[in-house]
Amino acid sequence: MRWNAEAIPRFLFALYMGAFFLYLFAPLAVMGAATFNASRFPTVTPWRGTTLEWFAALAKDGAMWQALWTSFVVAFFVVAVALPVGTAAALVLTSLHARARSLLYALMVSPLLTPGVVIGIATLVLWRRVGVGGGVFLIVVAQASFIICYVMLMIAARLQRFDRTQEEAALGLGASKFMVFRRVLLPFLRPALYAAGVLAVLQSIENYNTTLFVRGFDTPLTVYIATKVRTGLTPAVNALALIMIAATVIGAIAYEVARRRQTRRG
Amino acid sequence: MSHSVELTNVGMTFGATRAVGDVSFAVEAGEFFSILGPSGCGKTTILRMIAGFLQPTEGRIAIGGRDMSGLGPNQRPTAMIFQSLALFPLMPVWENIAFGLEARGASKAERRAKADDLLKLIALEGFGDRMPGELSGGQRQRVAIARALAVEPQVLLLDEPLSALDLKLRQHMRAELRALQKRTGVTFIYITHDQSEALAMSDRVAVMSAGVLQQVGAPRDLYESPRTPFVASFVGETNAISGTVVEVSDTVATIDTAHGRMSGRSGEGLKSGGTARLYVRPEALVPGLDVENRLTATIERSDFEGAFALLHGRLADGSPLVASVGNTALAEAPGPGESAAFGFETRHAVVLADG
Repeated sequence: MRWNAEAIPRFLFALYMGAFFLYLFAPLAVMGAATFNASRFPTVTPWRGTTLEWFAALAKDGAMWQALWTSFVVAFFVVAVALPVGTAAALVLTSLHARARSLLYALMVSPLLTPGVVIGIATLVLWRRVGVGGGVFLIVVAQASFIICYVMLMIAARLQRFDRTQEEAALGLGASKFMVFRRVLLPFLRPALYAAGVLAVLQSIENYNTTLFVRGFDTPLTVYIATKVRTGLTPAVNALALIMIAATVIGAIAYEVARRRQTRRG
Repeated sequence: MSHSVELTNVGMTFGATRAVGDVSFAVEAGEFFSILGPSGCGKTTILRMIAGFLQPTEGRIAIGGRDMSGLGPNQRPTAMIFQSLALFPLMPVWENIAFGLEARGASKAERRAKADDLLKLIALEGFGDRMPGELSGGQRQRVAIARALAVEPQVLLLDEPLSALDLKLRQHMRAELRALQKRTGVTFIYITHDQSEALAMSDRVAVMSAGVLQQVGAPRDLYESPRTPFVASFVGETNAISGTVVEVSDTVATIDTAHGRMSGRSGEGLKSGGTARLYVRPEALVPGLDVENRLTATIERSDFEGAFALLHGRLADGSPLVASVGNTALAEAPGPGESAAFGFETRHAVVLADG
């Protein structure tokens, strides 16, 4: 009688978790494996022998490195714009009365519900009128317009847990509004700011459909990979993806190790 | 002594709600002053108006003789201790304490030195580099007090800071707060709904109900000479016997009740023929005392409290009566089921007009 009370749910849970992780990671595993296939196409079947040549091919692909650099530059400026603006929006949002808040909230979240293509085209049309064509500047503007929403949502979520009496306590001790922000609010928001910054970088680098319309003659990584699909994709792209995944995993582990060390130190 | 804080006809209206109406009182410099009242009586609103978090809609508040209208909390010579304490969780204890000095532009060495001085004052030497989350409730309490004292305020405002502590610690902190206040000489304005806290610590207490100031006085005055029915029943335990006034003089009033004629000291506004209540404390009721004022009750139960016992009984008309009997007199006290006569001295009772 013991097994059906305990074992069946546990087995079902294990089965579900197995299926879940398979679904999540199988495509990544296949893509990673294809990097080491000597085939000209990014595939694992047929296996034409194990090779590292695609890493060499990647290293030689100057246009791709240029595209990666462009993506990083865009991401840097997107973060520089989205963090302060998103934080300011969140601060305004949480200080408003209920009715104005829900109106402003809907307004500020709407770019997230707008298709990326529309944002791209709209940005281009608007800036053309004032004589600004596509390029890194417009990519930053277009991406920031919706990435700001993510930042705002994340900061606003953190702000909701802020104990307002801390602000009053600081004011009561003679602090200026600026000092309250710098010494009390900002340290409280710091984890959310880091998280929002990381999310903004990821959103910026992986964005394709908005970027495509405002890129002008600049080619960020996603656009470059998409053009390669048309002109012939090689496993060099897989090699790049593998490197980026490795970097992400190492970054996440390093962060976790640092965090645990800090918690232990108290 | 000069007035430290003076409220003149202060009122506060939020939309259609009148939270505080026409409150006037003056707190002397160096006084431990409490504002006592049930939750929602407007006491916190008054404190927040003194601190500058709220601007009164009527009247004026002066601190040290200076009108405070229009000044924000960071421009007033006050410091506040919040119910939640509101320590800054991401700053070590010493930075918490020195926060007000940082706001005034003191150097780091100066701030550290002052923080260490204050840590000594609150008996937490060597705790400066801990984080607030690593301290116990009582220690956090003391850090909050030190943080407020660091700015050397003229007035320290305390919003029920002891309510989150357990009983033992609360009693300990009461004594500590009182000692600290005497040592520093800072004016304390203390908000509480706990009457024993207010009576035990304060030089004077203001009792509030529904946004209206009921009475200001020394703890003994409030207890022995309540001026309104609210104060009589809110401060300490009491028995209220209603009746009709038959005779009233400057000092004594006599009323006819369902239990006979009895007298007490007379309150304000009594008129012959008007309805009034006589209030008598449980400890003023003495079993078997043969005086003019007498009440006969059937004892239902006796709650032993250690130093005394509370006898709960019912009068002939079914209304409750509580008498307290000292431990040493307990052997002769009537037990449950017995009918007992209690007498009380006229000077131990108060007659107040029904409001």
